Amino acid sequence: MKTLVELEILRTLRNRRFMFFSVLYPGLLFLIITAGADRTKKMDGLNLTVVAYYMVAMAAFGAMTAVLMGNAERIAREREKGWVRQLRLTALPGRGYVTAKIASAATVSLPSILIVLVLGAAVKDVRLAAWQWVSTALAVWAGSMVFAALGVAIGYVATADVARPISMLCYFVLAMLGGLWVPFTTFPHWLQTLAGYLPGRAYTAVGQAIEFGDAPHAKDITVLVVYLALFAGTAAWLYRKDTRKA
Amino acid sequence: MTATSAVTAGHGGGSADRGAPVVSFRAVNKNFGAVRAVAGLDLELRAGETVALLGPNGAGKSTALDLLLGLRNPDSGSVAVFGTTPAKAIAAGRVGAMLQSGGLMEDVTVRELVGLACDLHPRAYPVDRVLKDAGIDGIGDRKVNKLSGGQEQRVRFAMATAGANDLIVLDEPTVGMDVTARQAFWATMRGQVEQGRTVLFATHYLEEADAIADRVLVLHRGALIADGTAAEIKARAGARRITFDLDADRDGRIDEAALRGLPRVVGLDITGPTVRIRSDDADATMHAVYALGLYPRNLEVSGLGLEQAFLAITEAAADTATPAATTTATAVTATAEEPGNR
Repeated sequence: MKTLVELEILRTLRNRRFMFFSVLYPGLLFLIITAGADRTKKMDGLNLTVVAYYMVAMAAFGAMTAVLMGNAERIAREREKGWVRQLRLTALPGRGYVTAKIASAATVSLPSILIVLVLGAAVKDVRLAAWQWVSTALAVWAGSMVFAALGVAIGYVATADVARPISMLCYFVLAMLGGLWVPFTTFPHWLQTLAGYLPGRAYTAVGQAIEFGDAPHAKDITVLVVYLALFAGTAAWLYRKDTRKA
Repeated sequence: MTATSAVTAGHGGGSADRGAPVVSFRAVNKNFGAVRAVAGLDLELRAGETVALLGPNGAGKSTALDLLLGLRNPDSGSVAVFGTTPAKAIAAGRVGAMLQSGGLMEDVTVRELVGLACDLHPRAYPVDRVLKDAGIDGIGDRKVNKLSGGQEQRVRFAMATAGANDLIVLDEPTVGMDVTARQAFWATMRGQVEQGRTVLFATHYLEEADAIADRVLVLHRGALIADGTAAEIKARAGARRITFDLDADRDGRIDEAALRGLPRVVGLDITGPTVRIRSDDADATMHAVYALGLYPRNLEVSGLGLEQAFLAITEAAADTATPAATTTATAVTATAEEPGNR
């Protein structure tokens, strides 16, 4: 199983075009969104600058893009080509496949997160304590695994043709309700409540809690862990149970 | 039906049970919508056998292999491999399989991919040995997505033989190979057989079945219609083919009824003046032809290859409505596309 994880990471790194867009895109988007922003302007009702808010939002957004879109489509394609069938003729357990896919997704998401944070510090003068930088990076990275698992699950239920639209849809809804583009506080109350139980919101909330100087809320972490277990479990189950022509 | 005489050792035994058959299908059915891909299949493979699985397109070969490998579940009946479920037998590293055009991982080298198969196998061989045995030690550094069809097949073969499997399943293994590659492939395969493995392969090349297999299974409409050695199958189909020309009688016809009444005739075909007879005793048949007062010209008597035997058997099965077959009279199964095929 170790070899599979290594190979999945290796081939992701070899796919230069995919790496380039996934890694650089969030950083560029962050620069564009915050281009005109006043660096000292605070978010409404929050003791946090607009730039710092978007820095974490874009790091999260980038990581989500990389893992969700990359995984779902690639897996659906691999199923269609019969590689997953071939893999099912080995002793590999379902969790091994899911683990390898999440690991390869994480290879792409880490540098994309780091680039956004570096741009925030170097170009946009975001100032945080050392522990905040480190834990923001780690929290956003760890949280991206939830969406990687979702990507694997989508790749399993969808064909290659529809995997992209489905993951786009999931990703827009989750990113939107997570407040990645529009600040969460502008939502009506009922929507805030609903979004609170979705992984997108919990994901950004963990990163922002750290920015405020707080520990992430237990509820957000619980939401993320539950979704990770749900998505990864579903994906592993689908891998083993897939007796259709995969 | 004409299935195996099933002498079973029971399912209860452990996976290492010596008495347990390597593969056991019991009354297995698998439908795809209205199509009965596998219809009441009973089958048993014993240790050390080299078995060829033949059948026209759409006969259910690929589906049967999918069921054997646990890639699909039967609608009814049971499939056991080494006395346990296919999934468990595979997890224990007892089964190696090479699928028809099974996809390969991209963006990796041949050596990396075969290394993966070795890593995942509970009883793996060293990578170098596997590459060498499959005849791909020279292309280990090549990218998997830049291989020729024959090379790809060899990579799949390497993956199927990455460890000490007891059963090797091959679905159309030599498709896409040229004659030389095909011969080299079977030479490699014989090495596997000599190590005491059970080998089951589906093929379209009848001469492969004739030359390699010590048991031939013929599948038709999802059921087993013949099971025996290649020689037995040939004998069953009528061992000899007799061809001659006849002059028409006064009405300008050839007396088909008289010819059909000849002794030991298994098949008869008349095209113009040419009569083709399949017979399991050519001497007796020809003696009777002369006894009828006929004067055959351009007489030829030849042995029947497995290919003709196979065609004869499947045609006969298509003519007689097999009880196990579907109620729809599709005599064109030979061209019907198997739903499982991509």
